[in-house]
Amino acid sequence: MKFYLNKKLIIFSFFMILVAAASAQVVIKGKVIDKAGKPIHGVSISVLDADGRILTGASSDLEGNFVIKNVDTKNKISLSSIGYKTITQNIGGRTTFNITLEDSQTDLGEVVVVARPNSNNGLVNINERNLTTAVQRINAKELEEMQASSIDQALQGRLSGVDITASSGDPGAAMNIRIRGVSSINSTGIPLIILDGMPYDTEIPGDFNFGTADEQGYAQLLNISPADIKDITVLKDAAATAIWGSRAANGVLVITTKRGSVGKPSLNYTFKGSLSLVPESIPLLNGDQYSTLMPEAYINRNGSTLNSTVFREFNYDPNDPYWYHNYSNNTNWIDAISRTGYLQDHTLSLTGGGEKAKYFASVGYFDQKGITLGTDLQRINTRINLDYTVSDKIKFFTSIAYTHTDQSRNYLGSSSSSESTIRGMAYIKMPNMSVFEYDALGNLTTNYFSPASNVQGQYSRIYNPVAMADKAIYTVLGERVVPRFQINYDIIKKVLNATFDVQFDINNTKNSSFLPQIATGRPNTETVVNRAYDGDIDVFSVSTKTNLAYTPTLKNTNHTILGFMTFLTNDYKAVYQEAMTSNTASSLLVDPSVPSRTQNSELKAVSGVNQSRSLGAILGSQYSFKDKYILNASIRADGNSRFGTDYRYGFFPSVSLRWRLSEEFFFKNIKSLDDLSLRASYGITGEIPRYDYLFYNTYSTYDYTYLGQSAIYPSRMELKNLKWQSLHGVNIGANVSLYKGRVRMDAEVYRNRTKDMFFDGLQLSGVTGFSSIFMNVGTMDNQGWEVAIWTQPVKKKDFIIGFDFNISSNENIIREISDLYPNSKGDVTQNGEYLRLLQINNPFGSFYGYKFKGVYSDKDATIARGPDGKPIIGPNGQIIYMRFGYPTIDYIFQPGDAMYEDVNHDGNINYMDVVYLGNSNPKLSGGFGPSVTYKNLKITTFFNFRLNYDVVNGTKMNTSNMYRFDNQSTAVLRRWRKEGDITDIPRGLINGGYNWLGSDNYVEDASFLRFRTITARYNFDKKILDKLKFKALSAYITAENLVTFTKYTGQDPEISTRGADPFRIAYDFSMTPPSRIVTLGLVAGF
Amino acid sequence: MKKTTVYFLLILCLIFSSSCKKWLELKPQDGIIKEEFWKTKEQVNAAVIGIYASMMESSPTPNDYGLKSYVPSLAELFFVWGECRGDNVAPATLVSGDDIELVNVNTQPTNVNTNWRPFYRIINLCNTVIEKAPEVLALDNTFTQTSLDNYLSEAHAVRALMYFYLVRSFGDVPLKLTATLSDRNIQPLAKSPKAQVLDQIVADLKLAEPKAVTNYGSPASDKGRITKYTINTILADVYLWMDKYAEAITECNKVINSQRYGLIKGATKIGSVVEYNPDWFNTLYYNGNSNEGIFELQFDAQKLNPYFPIFSPSFSTRRWVMNPQIMDVVFTVDFTNDQNYDIRADGASVRAATSSIWKYVGASATALRATDQSFAHWFFYRYADVLLMKAEALNETGAGAEALNIIYNVRKRANALDATDLLPTPADKTLIQDFILQERSREFCFEGKRWYDILRFAKRGNYTRLPILLNAVSTSVPSNLQQSAQAKMLDYNSHYFPIYLSEMQTNNLLVQNPFYR
Repeated sequence: MKFYLNKKLIIFSFFMILVAAASAQVVIKGKVIDKAGKPIHGVSISVLDADGRILTGASSDLEGNFVIKNVDTKNKISLSSIGYKTITQNIGGRTTFNITLEDSQTDLGEVVVVARPNSNNGLVNINERNLTTAVQRINAKELEEMQASSIDQALQGRLSGVDITASSGDPGAAMNIRIRGVSSINSTGIPLIILDGMPYDTEIPGDFNFGTADEQGYAQLLNISPADIKDITVLKDAAATAIWGSRAANGVLVITTKRGSVGKPSLNYTFKGSLSLVPESIPLLNGDQYSTLMPEAYINRNGSTLNSTVFREFNYDPNDPYWYHNYSNNTNWIDAISRTGYLQDHTLSLTGGGEKAKYFASVGYFDQKGITLGTDLQRINTRINLDYTVSDKIKFFTSIAYTHTDQSRNYLGSSSSSESTIRGMAYIKMPNMSVFEYDALGNLTTNYFSPASNVQGQYSRIYNPVAMADKAIYTVLGERVVPRFQINYDIIKKVLNATFDVQFDINNTKNSSFLPQIATGRPNTETVVNRAYDGDIDVFSVSTKTNLAYTPTLKNTNHTILGFMTFLTNDYKAVYQEAMTSNTASSLLVDPSVPSRTQNSELKAVSGVNQSRSLGAILGSQYSFKDKYILNASIRADGNSRFGTDYRYGFFPSVSLRWRLSEEFFFKNIKSLDDLSLRASYGITGEIPRYDYLFYNTYSTYDYTYLGQSAIYPSRMELKNLKWQSLHGVNIGANVSLYKGRVRMDAEVYRNRTKDMFFDGLQLSGVTGFSSIFMNVGTMDNQGWEVAIWTQPVKKKDFIIGFDFNISSNENIIREISDLYPNSKGDVTQNGEYLRLLQINNPFGSFYGYKFKGVYSDKDATIARGPDGKPIIGPNGQIIYMRFGYPTIDYIFQPGDAMYEDVNHDGNINYMDVVYLGNSNPKLSGGFGPSVTYKNLKITTFFNFRLNYDVVNGTKMNTSNMYRFDNQSTAVLRRWRKEGDITDIPRGLINGGYNWLGSDNYVEDASFLRFRTITARYNFDKKILDKLKFKALSAYITAENLVTFTKYTGQDPEISTRGADPFRIAYDFSMTPPSRIVTLGLVAGF
Repeated sequence: MKKTTVYFLLILCLIFSSSCKKWLELKPQDGIIKEEFWKTKEQVNAAVIGIYASMMESSPTPNDYGLKSYVPSLAELFFVWGECRGDNVAPATLVSGDDIELVNVNTQPTNVNTNWRPFYRIINLCNTVIEKAPEVLALDNTFTQTSLDNYLSEAHAVRALMYFYLVRSFGDVPLKLTATLSDRNIQPLAKSPKAQVLDQIVADLKLAEPKAVTNYGSPASDKGRITKYTINTILADVYLWMDKYAEAITECNKVINSQRYGLIKGATKIGSVVEYNPDWFNTLYYNGNSNEGIFELQFDAQKLNPYFPIFSPSFSTRRWVMNPQIMDVVFTVDFTNDQNYDIRADGASVRAATSSIWKYVGASATALRATDQSFAHWFFYRYADVLLMKAEALNETGAGAEALNIIYNVRKRANALDATDLLPTPADKTLIQDFILQERSREFCFEGKRWYDILRFAKRGNYTRLPILLNAVSTSVPSNLQQSAQAKMLDYNSHYFPIYLSEMQTNNLLVQNPFYR
């Protein structure tokens, strides 16, 4: 049979050769064998034209034989198979090809990196060694170990000058990423994300405002699975980011995802699992202690006693069983809403490919349960990256990524920072109250105890946090699909290359919430009962990029040049609708589509469309002479629909230089020096406003009529002066590399000057008839320096010690500001407020207040004394007591009140006694991470620190002021109670007095050193792997937030300042230290 | 190859420059933009209606009540400014600190009730109409000069009325007479002296008067929009404030002689038996737009007034109750005959049983309105006001007898009790002043006039009657704070509000009222 076939083939081939000879076409045949002489099955044999385009092909049979008909003799033949080196030969006149393929090791497994790593700014690849700008790269290996649901979490603390903090500890909570501080006094400060060379939107339009949602709701927008990421590059200075023009003012994160590589299919599985343990919170009063304190604090007010027949909460009368049982408990509300959180993350990916097609496919599942009841997050994501080489000239790349997110949040958020959140509520909720209601007979029922109001107030001031966490609903459902297509064409091989990209982004988010009656306790006539909400935002965007890269090979190798031209477009459209109704008939009817109450100013049904477009054109080039002097320059022109015709276009040039000193003759002979370079750069980037259509004067209508006629009013004035916010960055840097890269250091000094800084919602004088405006308000500097060092002090075959270190400092200074901008904030006659001043040319963060001197122990102590220490005597010879805010407030201090220093000795505590208290701008911050590798075991650690950082301990303020009927910390047990008591905690005084004015009592230095993570990773031996049929296997365990060294008495010294305004100071409202998290992980390759 | 590249670049540039201009032109799909507005007379009408509708707008921050971020609504401020420093109201238990401070004469520049923003918002709407409406005349051929004049008279009159509130509450205020159309119109603006503001108010009203409509064709519009007689009434009030009595009388007479208004029949006394009109409260207050109304803000079922949560005894958010002395001292009670009562007292202005301020929340003498029926109008002016203003001016010009005649007329309608009759002789100018002030307190109880009445009488003739203020303070301020409150009243600047802190911060030409510095 075989013979017959072969014979037939030969005859057939012979015939074909005859035919081919007539038309210059031949039949070729042959056999493929390996070195041992064994035939190779399944080798792909392709006939290629001069450009490498495949014309026809075949594959070898079991015997290694192949035949191809109609082959032009001018073409080439190429043989390739996985595991062997590819061979390409000219056909010429030959018709028989007996070819021996050689084994190839390099094609298998991991690609050995020969060249130095390239760095990617999203448009062109430039050798990291030749970079003229400040960039920093982090690769996938480093990201793998952290229990992070998204890349932003993983980056936390890893990069110098990059500050990432969580907005809350809840699953899916948004992270604030700041690269070199905030460039504006009022912007989100989120850097631009470039995913595989294309901008990736992370913000939703500013006009859209979900009912009760805050920024947290959009955290899912940055959900790129960490396991899909190959590396992340941070572009820090303005010269590097300038090519991204209008959106790059806050820095750029360039993310590259993994791509397929030639080789057998390789299956990878990674697993991460972690447990979060709720740490012990600040000790609070129990029910009995609380019930003792409150009537005492009430009577201190004006001497009238708390009427316990009115306020039956404190009655403790067994003859009144309903009140007695419901209000005689010792409830720990924190425990009632907390649980142990867990997280699991599975990713399965498949990579591989042949000569023509390469693929990377992954699917991931992420599941997290937060430490607060009712918070969880599930995510499924898939990605396929497909590369196909059509010919030597044409390649295309497609990818499609899909993410599905399902998040449950607490209805009111659950971060501990504010009273309005569930955790915040649990801290202040009266502890003598029961979680579940007792009936009139004193039997415990299964209903949550949510009275319409009690002594603490009513919803939304107070509510049952357990009922809120358990019964109120807030879900965020997100679907994001990002299909992408790229075609790459070599116009002139290796010299001129064109790529064209188009990317679609379909991002749909649905928020639904429901506030049931049992959570608020209010009567059914109010709109906070059974309030149902549904908000939908669908974003569609199309971006294109056309790129021309010119990389000529010059005859004189002293010069190298590279040029590129790019043209970008983006069309973004968001369609949204929201509906909110209330008083559905039952707590089971949770959808606003159920007929329910709609007529009320808070309830609404709105919809809208927002659209914006942008264009960008970039021209750039890099030139280097003798590898010593490198110059990079680019210019970008941008057009954006968010500006009026006067200011629609912006131009953003940049120039940067690198001088490689180590190549100069005077350093040449230092052997250990690999590289010593100085860099300097200057660049401009711009920023567009967050809102569309701002430059129009718009008119709106009311949802009611007047005398039956419709009414129109101007809703927004025309912003004729609105122009680009631009950032002018100067950066001077140095790179040092010693001993073949074992010691490397990057150092940078920079100044980013933001001009025409935006301010959203700048309060206008009421006289204008408008309340606020979006305006360019001034100039601000953001300046500082950063140093990063990577070392390997010990490097032996089995034993490596590494030590990385980064340190940075940044400050904000206002240089110029609009007259309309307020110049101070904080009213020192109000409890709890600090005075902050806007001082031109002074860094942000200073605050002022009173000096706390303890507590007036008796009446004598409150006598006002002059500078000589003698009592001040009134005009009629009467004794003058210390007073506050004379003459407008004129409060006379009583024994037990807080004592403040009377700086000017006039017997009156007022604004003249306010002094400088501190600055909450850290002098230094950074991190370091020693790591040890011994054989297969690698231990990495990471510490971070902050120095010289003054913080207002808001927790201390709120838990010891005894100003409301809120629960307090056990510190108040040592409060002043009777004449003569000497203590540091003033008397309880509900709704009165000035015991907690902004004073140094609450100011502390929150310098700290935190042992953030430790990871032990074990890579299994090749021998064991072979036995188990694994390609790679490693396991690791990570512990986070182990120890914090600090003098700070609060719960968490690592607080970031909130907001971006010049009055921002660090308030610490955290009631628990950060959770300790233990993560177990596994990475397996098959 | 190079040539191709150059061509390619050229073509690219061409495409870029020609098409991107249009491509970047995007307009909002909701709302109307200026480029499409101010084209037709219908749009002018909608903008004028917008002025009135904006006066009914709810507080932008209703959930922040009690917080420093709270901005009261205009309708709320009409009440708070006019009544809360007077002696007819008292704070309810859950009132905010800022509200209490107002009563205690301890107003600070941080007091949210001193935020004049809602007034200037209306002023800006008026300015916008005054500036932009004339442009429409050239664009819309069906738009006549007469109807333009009518619209302008409304805008000028409302602007004058807003400034009148401001000048009475703050004294010197910035005089903004141009519209804020773009961010190029937002320069800081200094205060103008009281006298200049008042002159502007008079000028505006004088300009508006001849252009105004006398009749819109429907009673609701005649009461809900500015007519010629509304302008006369405001002018009378302004002249009284300026102590120009002859002018005030002239303006009052214009209204009276128009024969378009009258008092709604209340009580008729036949012998010793009083017959009460059962529809009086319903006609005048519950429904509104009666023959007596001159200018009423037209809340309706679509747009409820903000007063229900403020006054309703059924709401825990109730902020204000009646002053406890109101029944005993202001209206008095006839203990010998319970069928002899002032019709304006229990069941109309107040509901004594719950201490409630009843005018805005009562459906009848005893029944409360339902929440969704809280559409009682806000009364800027009623005919009774014109009568009593005339009486006041007459008394000042020496026509005491004529003044008393008017006062007794108003008293008769309401069956004011004899105990409240001061029985002045026509020559006793001071006693007639007291009589008028007391009668106004009864007639316009909680209609936002009390504080301005007290201040107007007290400041008359260079504060010769300052004791009126001191007495009022002794009624409203708690005893422990009375002394300091009265001491503050001796500084005339304390009679005017401080400029709200955020205004001081955003307008660097403003100078704080010296009392609060």
